[in-house]
Amino acid sequence: MPVIEITHISKSFGAVKAVDDVSFSVEKGELFGLLGPNGAGKTTSIRCMLDIFKPDSGSVSILGGPMSEAKKDRIGYMPEERGLYQDISLERCLVYLGSLKGLSESEVKRRAATYLERFDLAAHRHKKVKELSKGMQQKAQVIATLLHQPELLIVDEPFAGLDPINTQMIKDLLREQRQAGVTIVLCSHQMHLVEELCDRIVLIDHGHVMLYGSLEEVRRQFAGNAVLVKGGDGLPALEGVERVEPVDGAVKLHLRPGVRPQEILRELVRRDVPVEHFEIALPTLDEIFIRVVQGA
Amino acid sequence: MLKLLRVALHEYKRHVFTKRFLMGVLSIPLIGLVGFALVFILVAMENDTTPVGYVDFSGLLINPLPGPAPEKPYKPVPFLPFETEADARAALEAGQIQGYYLIPADYPSTGALTVVYDDKISRPARQQFYDFLAVNLTRRLDPAIANRLLQGSEIIVLSPDGSRVASEQTIFNFILPMLLGIAFMIAMFTTGGYLMQAVTEEKENRTIEVILTSVSPGQFMAGKIIGDIAVGLTQILTWVLFGVLIVLLGRGSLAFLRNVQIAPQTIWLAVLIVLPSFVTLSALTAAIGASVTEAREGQQIISLVTLPVWIPYMLMFPLMTNPNSPLAVTLSLLPLTAPLAILIRDGMTLLPAWQIAASAAVQVAAAVGSLWLAGRVFRLGMLRYGKRLRLGEVFHRR
Repeated sequence: MPVIEITHISKSFGAVKAVDDVSFSVEKGELFGLLGPNGAGKTTSIRCMLDIFKPDSGSVSILGGPMSEAKKDRIGYMPEERGLYQDISLERCLVYLGSLKGLSESEVKRRAATYLERFDLAAHRHKKVKELSKGMQQKAQVIATLLHQPELLIVDEPFAGLDPINTQMIKDLLREQRQAGVTIVLCSHQMHLVEELCDRIVLIDHGHVMLYGSLEEVRRQFAGNAVLVKGGDGLPALEGVERVEPVDGAVKLHLRPGVRPQEILRELVRRDVPVEHFEIALPTLDEIFIRVVQGA
Repeated sequence: MLKLLRVALHEYKRHVFTKRFLMGVLSIPLIGLVGFALVFILVAMENDTTPVGYVDFSGLLINPLPGPAPEKPYKPVPFLPFETEADARAALEAGQIQGYYLIPADYPSTGALTVVYDDKISRPARQQFYDFLAVNLTRRLDPAIANRLLQGSEIIVLSPDGSRVASEQTIFNFILPMLLGIAFMIAMFTTGGYLMQAVTEEKENRTIEVILTSVSPGQFMAGKIIGDIAVGLTQILTWVLFGVLIVLLGRGSLAFLRNVQIAPQTIWLAVLIVLPSFVTLSALTAAIGASVTEAREGQQIISLVTLPVWIPYMLMFPLMTNPNSPLAVTLSLLPLTAPLAILIRDGMTLLPAWQIAASAAVQVAAAVGSLWLAGRVFRLGMLRYGKRLRLGEVFHRR
């Protein structure tokens, strides 16, 4: 049974239809990418998912049914716009947010101590949140999201504003959570990170689902008629190749319509051209994103 | 329920354990204590124990009875008899006495005497000398009559049912409910201010989005209102405790403090009428906070709910002089105006039971309605950034 099942939801604000007939599901234990340009309807979809907004039509099933107060304790949500109390100490802020997830004060403190140590924030626990840097606040928000060990994690732009070291730390953390069986919905504009981490994605634009499926399926769906070849001292001119494009020490051969990659491989073997690497050239998620969004 | 209490506790601690709150809550009692101390200092400055002389030509003060002991903090002033006015004047010129009284032979019939001094005779010394004269003027009367005469007159007003007594001795009790009402008003505005500030801050810094994935909007709103009302009640309790302290410390010295007492009915009015009004005002300010885009905008709108609360204060004189007028009764029934109006009237008249019951019912209904409205506005308005929630949407949107 999917952990999240969104079925034909629509939500309007006045004349603006933020989400229009959106459906997708997230399976247990997967890392699911929720993508889309700014204003596409991602945040509205998440808010409908979390019962912050009621959809105008359609239905949402989360953790096996409609949202309930008890289920809220099993979900960790980190919104894109960070939300921490600025005028209280970091520790007090974490204790409060953790206690609202059903944990006792002592348990929150115990768990927070581990995370604060790991995120290099232990020395700042008594500082007011507003005295922390943006990156520190970002890490504090991640801690607040994980304190109650949620089964379902929804993180909106978790890498925004982080340096490479902290980005790596969050990536490791997300992988660790997935290994522990946590279902994760990742919302991000950093496509290379989504590509690196996610199993499946949905891409929403103007409130509609534009792409939905496993990352591999989506990339294959958008694969042009091209191969990526890495050879010795350069490749000879080949029949059936329309254009040659150098790509990171290899070449991308754009094939004429009707020419199959196998024919090119056969020709290279026949000519005894040394080949180190041969693969169907798949587009990056960045390229797919731009093609879909601009195409739309 | 547990989460509601956690929200309430957080809200309470967030406001109470701050320098701003402590300064605010302690400033009024400290002003009272300073005023109280000033009274004592002024009294102490009046305390001149230099003797006062007298020359008695009337024979009234031959083997005189001593006057009554002065009330604290006044100190007894000795009275020195002189045989002749020349002796008294010599003592005055030598600085041995503050001044002297010449009591003529016809004093018992005319009540006229002459006082002689260089600078002045202090007020307490004058009062003690008059008491001394009064004791000796009445010494030959029946002690009960003498005692009654010395006590002086007092007009006591009794309510027809005998439940209320008013006299000069209990004058302070008239204004006590009104003072309590004003204290409640100040606490309500403080609380309302905190609540609106907290809600708009949570909206501005986006904390609310995280919170709403942990608690329901209803629980969150109720928790905040309970927490902030507790802040207001802490403020009032602190003031009441300081008031009790002042009464306990001052009742030995200040006569008007001796008969201070809060009638049980005033406490009932506070519970039945003021508390629900407190909830109404808090819920409405929270709703305003949730519907606006920034705190400054909320400050402008909040006067729509705070103004009615002050109307009875502005109409205090007509309410006090005619506490059973249609205006007074109407203000006692309407939400927001009722707390102060009914507490002002409580000191001045006997409130009919039906008015108390009707007002309490209206206030409870208003509180419930305001909580519903606040929850609704909160749900619709909290995640509305940069655009104010319109009234029509509150009743029509999902």
